Parts: sequence; C-alpha cells; structure tokens
Amino acid sequence: MNLANPTAVAMAADQVDWADKNYLVVDDFVGIRQLLRESLRSLGAKNIDQASSGGEAMGLLSRIRYDVVLCDYNIGEGKNGQQVLEEARVRNLVNPSTVWLMVSAEKSVESVMGAAEHQPDAYLIKPITEGVLLTRLNRVWHKKQVFRAIDQACAEKDYLRAARLCDARIEHDKIHALDLLRMKAKLMEKSGQPAKAREVYEQVLEQREYQWARAGLAKIRMANGEFEQARQMFQSVIAENRYYIDAYDQLAASYQNMGKLDEACAILERAAKLSPNSVPRQRSLGNIALKLGNIAMAEKAFRKCIAIGEYSIMKTPDAYLGLARVCGQKNDTKEALQLLLTAQREFAHEHPDIQLRTKITEGLVYHESGDYRRARKAGDDLEEMLKLTPDRPDTNTCLELATLLFAVGVKDAPVELLCYVIRNNHDNPLLLDEVQGIFDKARMGDEGLALIRSSKKEAADLMNQGVLLWKTGKLAQAVEWMRNARKAVPNNQRILFNAAQIMVSHLQQHGYDDAMYAEACEVLHHVDRLLPGQQRFAQLMEQLAALQPAADASVSAVA
Amino acid sequence: MDDALPDPPESHDLFLFLASTAHDMKNSISVLSGTLERLLVDASPQTESAYPQMAHMLYQTKRLNDNLMQLLALYKQVGKPEYPFDLQPVPLGQLVDQVVAMGRVLLQSRGIRLELDVDPDLIWHLDEDLVVGVLSHAINNAIHYTGDTVRLAIRELDGWLELRVEDNGPGYPPALLQAGAVATREMAGGVNFLTNSAGLGLYFSGKVAEMHRHRGRGGSLHLENGGAYGGGCFVLRLP
Repeated sequence: MNLANPTAVAMAADQVDWADKNYLVVDDFVGIRQLLRESLRSLGAKNIDQASSGGEAMGLLSRIRYDVVLCDYNIGEGKNGQQVLEEARVRNLVNPSTVWLMVSAEKSVESVMGAAEHQPDAYLIKPITEGVLLTRLNRVWHKKQVFRAIDQACAEKDYLRAARLCDARIEHDKIHALDLLRMKAKLMEKSGQPAKAREVYEQVLEQREYQWARAGLAKIRMANGEFEQARQMFQSVIAENRYYIDAYDQLAASYQNMGKLDEACAILERAAKLSPNSVPRQRSLGNIALKLGNIAMAEKAFRKCIAIGEYSIMKTPDAYLGLARVCGQKNDTKEALQLLLTAQREFAHEHPDIQLRTKITEGLVYHESGDYRRARKAGDDLEEMLKLTPDRPDTNTCLELATLLFAVGVKDAPVELLCYVIRNNHDNPLLLDEVQGIFDKARMGDEGLALIRSSKKEAADLMNQGVLLWKTGKLAQAVEWMRNARKAVPNNQRILFNAAQIMVSHLQQHGYDDAMYAEACEVLHHVDRLLPGQQRFAQLMEQLAALQPAADASVSAVA
Repeated sequence: MDDALPDPPESHDLFLFLASTAHDMKNSISVLSGTLERLLVDASPQTESAYPQMAHMLYQTKRLNDNLMQLLALYKQVGKPEYPFDLQPVPLGQLVDQVVAMGRVLLQSRGIRLELDVDPDLIWHLDEDLVVGVLSHAINNAIHYTGDTVRLAIRELDGWLELRVEDNGPGYPPALLQAGAVATREMAGGVNFLTNSAGLGLYFSGKVAEMHRHRGRGGSLHLENGGAYGGGCFVLRLP
C-alpha cells in the first residue's frame, strides 16, 4: 500500500480475530449479499450464512448462534430489520456478545433517537466499504468487552453494582467515557436516585450539548412534578434536533401530566408522522385520541398500530381493544366483536387475562352504543369470571372493570374489586381519591369512604404485625407472617418491600439459603414490575447480591 | 407545534418513493464500485491493458456515489434541525482508518501516495458518517488534480479541530477558490455557485461544517492554495 505510515492509524494492540466467527447477512438484494460476503471473506471469514427476508433470517437465527449479524433495515415484505432484531432478542436467539449491525440506505431517524428498547450495536449507511465495516466491527467488539460486566450486573438488576463498575472505568477510558456516563445516569434513574443522575447529565453538558443529556435532565424534572419546566426543556431539545423522537413522547407526557390532553395529542400525532412505525407510540396516540373523543384519529392510530404489529413481537392487545371501542362508538358493534375475537385468538398465550379484558371491552362497547341489555349481560358474565379465580388483573383493569360493573348495575363484584385495589395500594393517596371518585359516581360515597378506611387498615395491620415480629427478633415467624400477608395482598409494594427486607435480615443473621434467596429475588422482581425505578428496590437488590456466595467472586474478578 | 413545517399530504408518499429508489440506486452503485475495486486489486497495469480505464471508471463511480449521497443528505435537509444529526465522540484513528480504506484502491490504481499526519488517540465530537463522507470526497477530488501525493492532516488548533486535505498539484484555479468562499458563506436560497461542477460537494461540505456547533461557534470550510506542498488545500474546521 502506498501509505506513508500505515500502522499509525491501525487499531489498538488487541486486534480481534474475525476469521472464526459465524456471520449472518440479511438483504433482499442478491448483489449486496454477495458484496458483503466478499468483504467479510477478505476479513478472513469462512462461515457466512445469507437470508433474503425477515422470515428466512428468523429461521436461521432460531437454529444457529451467530457472532455477527449484518441486517438491512428494508428487506421487502414481512418483518423489517428492526422487527427481526427485536424478535431475536426477545426470544433469546442471539447472545449478549452478538454484534448486530443495522444497514440502511441513508441516515435513519431511528439511528439517532437512541431510546428504543432494542437498539442494534451500530447503524451502517450504504455503500458499505471494508474499512468502515472493519472499523465499526472492532469498535462494537471493544465496547462490548468494556460493558460485559456492567450489562451482566444490569441483567441481574443489581444496578448499584453496575454503577460502581461504570465509575471504575470512566476516569481512564476516554474512548468509552461518554457511553459509561450515559449508562451510569440511566442506572441512577433505575435505582431511584434522580439527584445523582442529574449530576451525571450536568457533567456531560459541561463538555458538549448532547440532546440525550438535556432530555435526561428534563425527564428528572418531570418525575419531580415540574411539568412546565420539563415541557420547555423537551421543546428546546426538539428545536435543536427535530428528529429526536423520544423528546416528543416525553413532551406529550408532560402535557398529559398538566391535564392538557389536546396538546399532548397534537405532539404525538406529529411524532407519529416523523416515525410512524412504533407500536407503543401509535397505541398512546390512539388511547389519548379516544379519551378526547377524536374517533377518527383514534381509529387511524389503532389501525396503524395493528398493521405494524402484524410482524412484530412487540404487539399487544391494546390496539385491538381500543379499536373495538372506536367501532362501538361508531355503532359498528359487529366489527367490534370481530376484533375482540381476533384479540382472544392472537393473545391467548402471552396474556392470560385476555378473556377478562375482551369481556370488559365488550361491555363498554355495548354500554357506549346504548345496548344496555347486552351490556348488563356482559357485566353478569364478568361477575361469574371473577368468581372462578382469586387472581385479579392489574390496577387499571380493576378500576375500569369496577366502573363498568357499577354502570351496568352490578353491585357486589365492583365493591370487592375496589377493596382489593385499596388493600394493595393502601398508602397511595392519589389512587385512593380515584377509587373514592368511582364510589361517588355509583352514589355510594359514604359507604365507599368506610370501605376504603377498613381496607386500608386491614393492609396496614398485616404489614405492621410482620414488622413487629421482625423488630422483636422473631425472624422466622416474621418471614412466615409476611409470606401469608403476600398471599392475601399480592401487589402491595410496601408489604413486598418489607417482606424482602425481612428475608434479607434472615439471610444475614442465619446464613445463606438458596430457597430463601430465590424467594426474596422473586418478591423484588415482582415489585419492580409493579413500579420500576424505586430506590428501595436497588438497595435491597444490592444487599441481596452481596449475600450470594458466588456474586462476591464475580465482582472482584471484573473490578 | 408552532414552529412546525407545513406538511403537504403527498410529501410522505413522495419521500417513501424517493427513499426506496435511492436505496435501489445505492445498491447498484455499491455493486458497481465493489466489483471494480475487486477487479483492480486482482489486476496490475502490466497484466491488464485496460487498467488505467478501470481506474478512471472507479473514480467516476465514486463521484457518482458521493453526489448521490450528498443529494440525499441535502434532501434530508442537512444543515437544518430536520436532519438526523448524530454527534458522537470519535477517536481520530478510527475516523482516518475508514477514510483511508475507502480511498485505498483508487489511490493505488492511480499510483498516488497518501500521507497521514494524525494523532490517532485524539477524540473529537462529530457526526462520523458525515465527516467521513466529506473527507473521502475531498480525497477523491485531490486524487484527480494532484501530482503524485495527497496529504490528510488533522490537528487540534486553539480549541478547533482542523482537518486538511492537501495535494501537490497546481492548486485550485481562482474561480474555484471563489466558489469555495461563496459556498461556505451563509446565503439564503442562492444556488448560483452550483453552476460550478464542484459546487455540490462544496455546498454539502459547508453544510456539514455548519451543523457542528459548540458554545455558539459553528464549523467552517475553506479552500486555499499552499499547505505542505504548495498545491490545493481543502480545510474543514470543527468546533
């Protein structure tokens, strides 16, 4: 080569051996597949598989573990590249170490939003030359090495350990410093320490105006209830970079928090135009439009949501239920019922509460279209369904169901549901007000007040008795008491946290025990699903991880 | 939003159509330049009588590709908030690796030396795809006009990153120096510099420079004659 100094710009000492890796190339154009195969061969690669469509790619991915996937974003009919990536990750068809490079013809909006749940490791723009390919492969590889222990701690939800690992590297790793700071900020948010996340974002902004850091500050403001300030900050992020889509979703949330549904809806509509292929965004747009009574917009959003969800593993029943209500309000109960049947068929496996939810929607559809006799029939069916199992759906579904049941004239079942909600949320004043509102609407204000008070007391007594046993040193009895309390009240976060706390104490004082460790983990993961990002969750996870005999070794090995 | 652009109903469909056509054209050009590069690597001027013509085809193919890429970026409004600008910290060693690899076969086939003067460990915040595109385009141009050497020099200077592509050819003619000055000056909607064949590349590079902003300072581009060999110098400065 005619270069004066070819080694000066070569990669750092630890070169990666790309010859022995397994490759998958996904593109619908045979010429490009051949070109990429040639490029990979010149890196020494021998094992290169090819797929011409998303379906073919999924078939190969489910049989073979690849080290590197080069996937075009636009691959004709069926799944697009992003949907292939999402499904491969959700179904665990790729390893955490797998390098996923997304290829597109031009700079895509998605590549800079940086907020989607499943991001590829890098985006490449066509034409792809060997030099660019090799540089990006090496870069991703090194980054994955740096982040391996951190990602592992994250996967175990030990966010505080992950944050310490970030800290240990930030100082002397200039190349990854920014990525490490971004990760640390995210970890601080996840572990309920927004003040520390804010410090990190401000540190980044002192160097450069990174929009993700500005948006991060705005998100903290919003979580703090400073909706107007958050709104202004999100708007300035959008003014700087009109494609920073995540800021639109957040801006809409700020408006929603301020009760300005019209503005929120307009922002979501604009974001959906810029980046139309997001299932969650179309769903939010549909829901908010439905609330506003903008039936046409709700219908458009829900239909789009269903269409893009067809090939996506990220699809949920919400769009079907929402569209069914739209149809009900347009007096097309026939299509509404058809949609509910489809939802039952499509989501029977992943969503065990789908029968209940479709029945609720059926009741709402009849009620809103004025067919009170069939609405009442749906209410009676729901009451029967509730009798069959002690399990109750999530809080929002419970409230929706209770509202419907009162509206169609059922009395006992909604009262039972609302008491259940109170027992599981006895220290959440906003929710208590909402429940009182539902009682008031059903002309049961006084009765409701008394029921709320007694349900609150019931939960508080359960918890206090367990804590008393713990404080008086009766640890084994305390653990057993909280186990029963959790059976009676499965979704009460304070009871769950205290139950985990008591088990941690037990493990600390009476020695490590696999079964109790697993039980405590399960309780904490359950509470994290109910409301992610709580400080107490992060602290207890850290205490728990420190108790595990093997965990100590892995921390010292990577530190 | 009050500052939203008007959005005619047909614009999205048109955009999708253009995007898919562009995708197709890029695929074709990729295959074309990839095939040419491979043929050139396997051949030599001694064994292949058409070697100089093949090298020229590669040069023209790269021009075609650069122009297409620049037009697409301009269509996506590079230089405005509408462009998905992607700032990242990039070690210059990695930036230069990519530029060098993109020009390797063309340099070799034209018998031109590329000299590098870069601190590979220096990290700068920039949109990598855009800057690699600008530098690669500048080197392609220099290859066409230089004597036998092209120099890529990057250094930090008073808080700016200065990226220079210099050659040892006769230097830019006065008309081009002026076009360079015009292309990089802020002018609303005027496109008279596009009468010059180098106009698109300069305009695009100027827009890329401008997009890089930091603490109220924006990047800039200018052309000059001189530098290490007294030939043409393409100078990009980023804050």
